[in-house]
Amino acid sequence: MSYAFYPGCVSRGGCPELYPSAVKVAGRLGLGLEELTDVGCNGAGVLSRAVSDPINARTFAKAEARGLTQLMTICSTCTGVMGGANLRLKEDPAYRERINREFLAEERLAYQGSVDVKHLLWLLVEDYGLDRLRAEVRRPLKGLRVSPFYGCYIRRPDGILEGKPARKRYLEMVIEALGAEVTDFGGKGKCCGFPVLTANEPNSMAMVAAHTGEAKSKGAECMVTPCPLCHLNLDGGQPRAAKMKGTAIDLPILHLPQLIGLALGFSTEELHLKRHIVPTRPVAEKVSLLT
Amino acid sequence: MELIFKVYRHDPAAGTKPALESYPVSLPDGATVLDGLFQIRDRHDGGLAFRAACGRGFCGECTLRINRSGKLACITKVAQVAKDGEVTVEPVRNITVLKDLVYDVDELLWQKIAWVEPWLRPATAQPEGGYVIPDAGLEPIRKAMSCYYCGLCDEGCSVIPFDRRFSGPAALTKAFRVVFDPRDGAARERLLRLGEPRGMWDCVHCYEANEHCPRGIDPTDRIFDLRDKAVELGVKSGTANPQVARHYDSFAASVRQSGWLDEGRLALETWGLGRLGELLPMAWRALRRGKLPVPYLHRKRPGAEWIRKIFDKVEKRS
Amino acid sequence: MPDHTVVVVGGGVAGIRAALAARAQGADVALVSKVHPLRSHSCTSQGGLNAALAPDDSWETHAQDTVAGGDFLGDQDAVETLAREAPDAVLELDRWGAPFNRDERGRLALRRLAGASRARACYADDLTGHVVLQVLHEQLLAARVPAYVEWVVTSLLMDDGACRGVVALELATGTLHAITARAVVLATGGFGRVYEPTGASLGLTGDGLALAYRAGAVLMDMEMVQYHPTALTGTGALLTEALLGEGALLVTGGGERVMAEAAPRLGERAPRDLLSRSIASRLKAGEAVLLDARPIGGARLGRSFGVTRHLVKAVAGLDLAKEPVPVEPVPHRTMGGVRVDLHGATGVPGLFAAGGCAATGVHGANRLGGNSLLEALVFGRRAGEAAARAAAAAPTGQGASSRLADEERALEALTARGGGPDAAATIRQALTRTMREQVGLFREAAGLAEATRTIVGLEERYRGLGVTASGRRWNYALVSHLELGHLLEVARVVAAAALARQESRGVHARRDFPERDDTGWLRHTLASFTPDGPKLDAQPVVITRWPPGRRAY
Repeated sequence: MSYAFYPGCVSRGGCPELYPSAVKVAGRLGLGLEELTDVGCNGAGVLSRAVSDPINARTFAKAEARGLTQLMTICSTCTGVMGGANLRLKEDPAYRERINREFLAEERLAYQGSVDVKHLLWLLVEDYGLDRLRAEVRRPLKGLRVSPFYGCYIRRPDGILEGKPARKRYLEMVIEALGAEVTDFGGKGKCCGFPVLTANEPNSMAMVAAHTGEAKSKGAECMVTPCPLCHLNLDGGQPRAAKMKGTAIDLPILHLPQLIGLALGFSTEELHLKRHIVPTRPVAEKVSLLT
Repeated sequence: MELIFKVYRHDPAAGTKPALESYPVSLPDGATVLDGLFQIRDRHDGGLAFRAACGRGFCGECTLRINRSGKLACITKVAQVAKDGEVTVEPVRNITVLKDLVYDVDELLWQKIAWVEPWLRPATAQPEGGYVIPDAGLEPIRKAMSCYYCGLCDEGCSVIPFDRRFSGPAALTKAFRVVFDPRDGAARERLLRLGEPRGMWDCVHCYEANEHCPRGIDPTDRIFDLRDKAVELGVKSGTANPQVARHYDSFAASVRQSGWLDEGRLALETWGLGRLGELLPMAWRALRRGKLPVPYLHRKRPGAEWIRKIFDKVEKRS
Repeated sequence: MPDHTVVVVGGGVAGIRAALAARAQGADVALVSKVHPLRSHSCTSQGGLNAALAPDDSWETHAQDTVAGGDFLGDQDAVETLAREAPDAVLELDRWGAPFNRDERGRLALRRLAGASRARACYADDLTGHVVLQVLHEQLLAARVPAYVEWVVTSLLMDDGACRGVVALELATGTLHAITARAVVLATGGFGRVYEPTGASLGLTGDGLALAYRAGAVLMDMEMVQYHPTALTGTGALLTEALLGEGALLVTGGGERVMAEAAPRLGERAPRDLLSRSIASRLKAGEAVLLDARPIGGARLGRSFGVTRHLVKAVAGLDLAKEPVPVEPVPHRTMGGVRVDLHGATGVPGLFAAGGCAATGVHGANRLGGNSLLEALVFGRRAGEAAARAAAAAPTGQGASSRLADEERALEALTARGGGPDAAATIRQALTRTMREQVGLFREAAGLAEATRTIVGLEERYRGLGVTASGRRWNYALVSHLELGHLLEVARVVAAAALARQESRGVHARRDFPERDDTGWLRHTLASFTPDGPKLDAQPVVITRWPPGRRAY
């Protein structure tokens, strides 16, 4: 099965370590990816829906034009924003028609409503299968204590779960399938603060400090997140958050494909693990020690 | 049914510590949590303080945490929530407790609602026989107004625990009621006000509010509606937080020009040279870690001209 | 000591409307409410708001329907006022932004409610009262009217027989305050809590009635207690009569239409008293009675009755769109109250009343749905205006401080007394049981007389009660105690009035006097306080255009 691959902006922008890691992991697992290279940013919850709904409709239409109905994302925000747009376009045919007519017709495109938006995380559990994933593990991450951090948009609103409440536990399931230990904590489904970094930096940093701090207090050695925007705040913002809070944090934050990649046997260089603000060396060391 | 109610007791004025007190209750099968609370007040401790008004799910007064979940006590059936013969009843989170289960709703809700100035400011005089408006224009207003200030959206809000003075989804939904009322003529001024710090741009749009609203009002989407309207009217922030407007403009500009986001440009244009002092060390650190591509080239994506056309069409429309 | 020109007690539709009206007259007005205004009982009203807005309707027809609906006990001058001023009341709300439903031409949509000869109720889905209350509250905020929220009025400040303010307990601090004023408007709602189960909110304990009664005002038509015909059985949750108005059916378990005999023409749209009695008779005979809303259709139910549908699911696990639901009548709207004239004046200088606690004479022996919210608006405004006018000419009262000191001592004594923790609740249960069983839908002399004896006995026990909770802050046990006193006071009058009226009319159904008797009883029952119990009197019904006739539905 081929997936239309939508890598988003940040995976090659502020988090350039994410894109190559994701591509490598997908390749190793045999996921057929066809990258959509001529589509636009989905708006990330910033752009008005007046402009982002048509942009996203066009993205879906482009996928359909290639005969692809499964669209893979590697970012919780992309998943939520595009998933939400998709829901609007699917549930209101008149709305979809209007957008097709007004914005897509000129390019001779029309979205028919057949695309499903799926994060790599969902895809792994639902399509690929955890057993298969386990079988691919070359370097079980035994003893590594990992806290899951989902990112709001891959858990809410309820509609995004598409009748699969277990999606709220996929990250834990994958962590365990990779041989690592889940360090559970209350903030795993909460907001990282990234969306208000501009509007209210103190709040944003306080959220980073609270969630990383809580995970650390429960014994986490690192955190994994399926959202690069969360990563930007939790990793990129961590020094500032620590400064504002007045305590050190030093919790390495990994992208989901990086964690998977480590278990699959890729090296730290291949997974660009040095391109983080908070050093990931402790993770690499722990993992290497247990080969 | 015989069970134990564990009820939060606290009298801040008395200087005692909060505690969960256990009370045995004996209730008929269809009884609600509110019935249990009344029985405790009648039989065990007349000093137990809790609020209730309509008693049947219409007024939003008796919102409490029942077995750790925000609910209206008057329509929550004991049989459905009891766990191992126990029901825990506590005040909601992120508030100041006044006594026992009575908490400061002024701080949580009423002051914020007054802040959004929720009374209509009509754009035109009422024609004889009443305003003529398609019902489709009023349906969303009725939906937003079905809010009965139970406070559950604010209670589940991601921002309020970190910033109690954030206006919150309930007040912003009330703002929606006037901004989007077809008869109101003050949208611009309202959105400017709502765009100030602690207003709509402080929302992290985490969708918790939608999850908690018992009346399906989807406050997060109402906040998005307000923001989109603000963008449409060119009021992308308040006067005290101009960086929010710059952020939007920069984001939109780079997507419009290249099809995707140029983060370097975004940081620069949002904060401007004023914060260069902070941005430079951040950029340096990013550079050292290999996060900043050298040379920094933001390339146009294929198909960018179609993205630009979308922006143009939307602009022309408004 | 707070001082204002006009004080309005009660923050529901009538209270807020009165406050706005007083303010519009330039008065320094303040609102006092024992719950936040948005929690007032008004928010539970769902069905709609009557007004002769349609071009082929007329205020005369609205009035006529109301007079007939009230079984000809309504004072027709008050009814005319109500009907005449209704369109303006609705249009004013529209100006203030009430999002009433519109028809396909964008004009106010109208639905038909019980006893109406045509559709004339404007509405907001199934949340009309809630929406009207919200809009009024918005205006209250805009007008910056000071509001003393969660202050419980414990007594009226009387000076030389005139009302010059109130004494109120501030729940948050436990402090007793005297709020002086030159006129007071009572808008405290009815007294439905003398019954259980009931559709009345917890706060409808007849506070305003009791206070006014003790101050020398007259209570009128207290025997008239309307049952809401369709409460979800066993839950007390009311299913709005708008459902019946839009096509829902009342059927027995065997599928027979319950109203076929009693109201061959209007069927389910017959007035509430007829519906309640018909349903009650079937239930008594052992039959089930169900409300079948399916004819309304899932789409309409989802859009315009969303809240009702959701509540039925939450409370009983049933889906209105898919299955008939069991219903039973419960006491709901008390028509009796403080007698007032067309301007809300009670006869006690400085004291006005509006809304559920007042008896304007508009509803007669049976209230039509859609007229209550309307009455609160029309007569709330009138009372506010009249209070402001009266206050402008009135002197400041004297003696507030000493009254406050007396009240303080009385409260101290109450809380110091303590007492068996169960006593208040037991008395209350005994009261509501007596009322339900003997002063309910169907009444007769022996039961009514016994009810009075029981109530007198309960009053005796009440006088010996203390309040177990001693702290003053947020002392709901204390508030409850005061409310119980009001309930007993009011219940005594209801029982006496019900015994006195030897006929059946509207909601008042006597087994021993099953017919209506215009010769003997085309008059209002009046009650005045004496230490030995209510002194009863009567006054004729005001008739302008409509001589009493048969109600035929």
